[in-house]
Amino acid sequence: MGFDYNSLLAFIIFGVTIGVVYGIVALGISLIYSGLDIVHFAHGEMYMFGAFFGLVLAHNVGVPYPIALIGAMVLTAVLGMAVERVFYRRLTRAGGGYTVAGMGMIICGFGMSVALVNVAYFIWGAEAEPFRANLDYIPRLSFPGDIEVPESYVLTAIISVTLMAALHYFLRHTKTGLAVRAVAHNKDIAYLMGINVPLMISLIFGLACGLAAAAGVLIGPMQSVQVEMGYLMLMKAFAAAVVGGFGSLPGAIIGGIMVGVFENLGAAYISPSHKDIYAFLLLILVLMFKPSGLLGVEAKVKA
Amino acid sequence: MVFLSWMADFIDSLAKRHRLLPWLIAYVLLLPMPFVLSALFSEYLIDLANRICLFILLAVGLNIVKGFCGQVTVGHIGLYAIGAVTSAVLALEPGGFGGALGFGWPIWLAIPTAVLVTGFAGLIVGLPSVRLEGAYLALATLGLGESVRIFIAVTPALGSSTGLMMIPAPSIGSFVFDSFTSYYYLVMTAAVVGIYFSFSILRSATGRAFQAIREDTIAASVNGINVVKYKLLAFVLSALYAGLAGALFAHMPPGYLHHNNFTVIEMVTLLLMVVLGGIGNVWGGVIGAIVVAIAYDQTKDLVFYFMERPIVIQPLVFGLSMVFLVMFMPRGIGGWIEDFQRNRRFIRRSEERLGGSTRNS
Amino acid sequence: MRLLNKVLAGVVTAGVGLGAAAAYAEDIRVGITMRMVSENGQAYGQMVMDEIDAINKAGGIHGNMIKATLMNDECKSDKGVANANKLIFQEKVHLLIGSTCSSVSLPIVDVTAKAGVPQMIPHSTNGKITQKGSEWVFRIPVSGRYYGGVAAKYVGENIGKKIAYICAADAASVNDCASMQAQMRKQFGAEPAYVADVQEKEVDFRSHMQKIKSMGVDGIMVAALAETMARALVQSYEAGIGEDVRRIGSSSASNAPVPKIAGDAVKGVFFTAAYSAADSRPIAKLFNEMTRSRYGIHAPDHDFSQAYDLVRIMEMALKNAKLTGSLAEDRTAIRDAIANVQGYQGLASGPISFCAAPTPQCRDGNRTAVLIGYTKGGENFETEVLARVTMDENFGLE
Repeated sequence: MGFDYNSLLAFIIFGVTIGVVYGIVALGISLIYSGLDIVHFAHGEMYMFGAFFGLVLAHNVGVPYPIALIGAMVLTAVLGMAVERVFYRRLTRAGGGYTVAGMGMIICGFGMSVALVNVAYFIWGAEAEPFRANLDYIPRLSFPGDIEVPESYVLTAIISVTLMAALHYFLRHTKTGLAVRAVAHNKDIAYLMGINVPLMISLIFGLACGLAAAAGVLIGPMQSVQVEMGYLMLMKAFAAAVVGGFGSLPGAIIGGIMVGVFENLGAAYISPSHKDIYAFLLLILVLMFKPSGLLGVEAKVKA
Repeated sequence: MVFLSWMADFIDSLAKRHRLLPWLIAYVLLLPMPFVLSALFSEYLIDLANRICLFILLAVGLNIVKGFCGQVTVGHIGLYAIGAVTSAVLALEPGGFGGALGFGWPIWLAIPTAVLVTGFAGLIVGLPSVRLEGAYLALATLGLGESVRIFIAVTPALGSSTGLMMIPAPSIGSFVFDSFTSYYYLVMTAAVVGIYFSFSILRSATGRAFQAIREDTIAASVNGINVVKYKLLAFVLSALYAGLAGALFAHMPPGYLHHNNFTVIEMVTLLLMVVLGGIGNVWGGVIGAIVVAIAYDQTKDLVFYFMERPIVIQPLVFGLSMVFLVMFMPRGIGGWIEDFQRNRRFIRRSEERLGGSTRNS
Repeated sequence: MRLLNKVLAGVVTAGVGLGAAAAYAEDIRVGITMRMVSENGQAYGQMVMDEIDAINKAGGIHGNMIKATLMNDECKSDKGVANANKLIFQEKVHLLIGSTCSSVSLPIVDVTAKAGVPQMIPHSTNGKITQKGSEWVFRIPVSGRYYGGVAAKYVGENIGKKIAYICAADAASVNDCASMQAQMRKQFGAEPAYVADVQEKEVDFRSHMQKIKSMGVDGIMVAALAETMARALVQSYEAGIGEDVRRIGSSSASNAPVPKIAGDAVKGVFFTAAYSAADSRPIAKLFNEMTRSRYGIHAPDHDFSQAYDLVRIMEMALKNAKLTGSLAEDRTAIRDAIANVQGYQGLASGPISFCAAPTPQCRDGNRTAVLIGYTKGGENFETEVLARVTMDENFGLE
């Protein structure tokens, strides 16, 4: 019996569809890193809040799914900007920069993650909620060899590509985007050039959180929504960001796809019970041997 | 404040007689603790004290690599797990009720072996530190720590989802260490010895090398310090502490281990202890461990009723505490201790220069 | 609510034997450790406290009030053990109720056995809990070892012998999966067509479903905790596996998040449990009403009914026990009183009986498994009882 190419194709497709979601979250992480020089350990919770906001909008308020998606992105962006302004901002060096020496930001990120998860417990409880989305207008894809790709996955792929394109356009072809890139490149010079650096920082953070929220709302119909969903997504997204290269935006998506495919293949051909370890393994291997990732700039040593 | 000064002076005078004297006296003072706690409160506090001693070992160990040497590691709980599971698996009877795998070793052989194995694992965890720093290192160590836990969770031989149970308690002859009080002497001794060795390391050439690396890695290597060797050494030393703590945890009655004793939440709690105590300060780490453990124990039942749902607010408070600590008290309790010691040194030096005591003016 | 209590009070008084203890005039202290932060976890704990409150309001145990302390163990064994130690040594409880997760109950059995405190298990199903030889532990739920046999029989006779298994890595599911496979092998000589060991909180089953689809199995067993099971069920349909392949659940299928999240994918799924909200007995209907109005639960699962039965049995035992004021003696007396419970018929699927020997035959009180199927999914799900089987007490012990 020959090698089952059919299944292999299926696993690759599954890997790509979930990997794209990892990529969107990784996009946010990379954005924060290149803009603010910090690794945001509470980013998984932004993803989770996005999913819940989307759920509330779609179910309780009753707006159609695409509006819920946009609404969730906006709400989460506001939440993220508030958190950054109130808590993280204080850890800046006085006078314009945003580099935090030592482990302060990492520990703060962990603490914020725990705090956010528990705030979510208060509001929504610990139950997993189903996210029923009316996606009838999206086609369901069928691949040869009896492979079905449900609507939610198709939508995810479409939205991800759209978001990437939009982000690319914003950064490359708008004035604000240029300001954002300037701030990411060198804050002090950007400040001297008259750019409102604190505002740009907030904007970067808000964008990143909005992206994470989009991922959350997209995942909702696939997997149900639960307060603890952020942690695992964070690890996968970190792996994606590292693989693709911290600070590289296309790298984030490619990294995400690679992580998704790698873990699905590992689960299918090696052992399904170790599935999450594959993502960590990839993360550690890349960190050890090519920390700059596939498309990244040289590994920055900031905290 | 004056009382603290007086205490510190007294301890210094004892130390002048013999280096170990304050330590021996402290140890002797701690010996009757179980009976005191039992009489004043209840036996439960001895159990709490035992757990605090394990936390002290963990916090002090973590401080070596994180505080002295400045390496950002978030996978320490994985080393704790390795120490615990190794010792348990070595000591369990093969094919027994307790777990699928077992070697039936005597416990006094299993525990040191587990410590050494964990030290070796620390070496592996430390390898990324050779090339990575800061958040990258944090990610790598986090990934390693979690991988250890997941591996335990899916391997039936290591307990998997049912856990390892009925892990035997240590015994000398016919005396078995299976009560709170008897176990207290084991862990308290380990904790005191651990704290002592931590100071020894701190004050040795190795410790100075660690701190040099923490302050400025490049300058350290320019000065002839073998950065790779010392970084790895720091990881191994802290891993030894974690291994001992883990092994003692495994054999503590009722002798049960499960993979969710070693999750990221436990790691964050450990971080909180170290941060509260002040990264790099040994006594800070000890105090941090004690404060967090007692706070946790006393507040875990605090339940507020919000919309008729009983809500446990403790985890939220813990998370926010970490954020506020980093924002407002980054040097932790250790910072206060250092300030206190610095003041004393200043006063002493002023006295020497002015020729006489300034205290009784 | 009052009618329900009157009906059950009848059962209780029928069981009261020698009754009034002469000089005992303290509070009776009960410690409870459960997983509170979970689907319905808070509600179970709340219900136990409310029921104890009601007992106190009705005069307590021969005039003595029950002082209950509820603690959260987060489904973590070290926290559970710490809670048990605190309750036993600091609160000096007469009785310990705990816990929800098998991985927490397992070590607590050793703690209560060593300290000599009776322990009643509200929810854990892992077989080993009662196999440790402890004289102090009593299990109210149906042990996992019974479930496999009932399900296997039904599956083999009505569905087919070619079954695929998705087994999640939590203590209860590992048990259920192994037990089902062993029973299928024993009763029908059937080997599993496919076995996948997945992680406890797995979210993506598509690769497994893809493989299973090509095998043409008769049924798929999903043994996992609630949300994980729901996801697997949904994804099995998304992968295109038709309704003709029956889905079989483990005992966690009775938890409300499963039909809630799985929606229509839960139709036709059946599982074994110890209580069904579709139970037609009047007590069951009253109980359903009570949980609906008090806790907003659409239809209670067997974790609710087991917690409720536990409180009733506890009340009975406390009333029967001769308490003298000496802590050690009272703990022993309460233990013996529980061991004397015979033929208690409450909400549970079958009668609950204990006896004094420290064996699983004596300590697994309920031997009746109910086979329940979902007829409708979503928030307002509906179930039907397919079969009710009382097993032999030695079943599943080989």
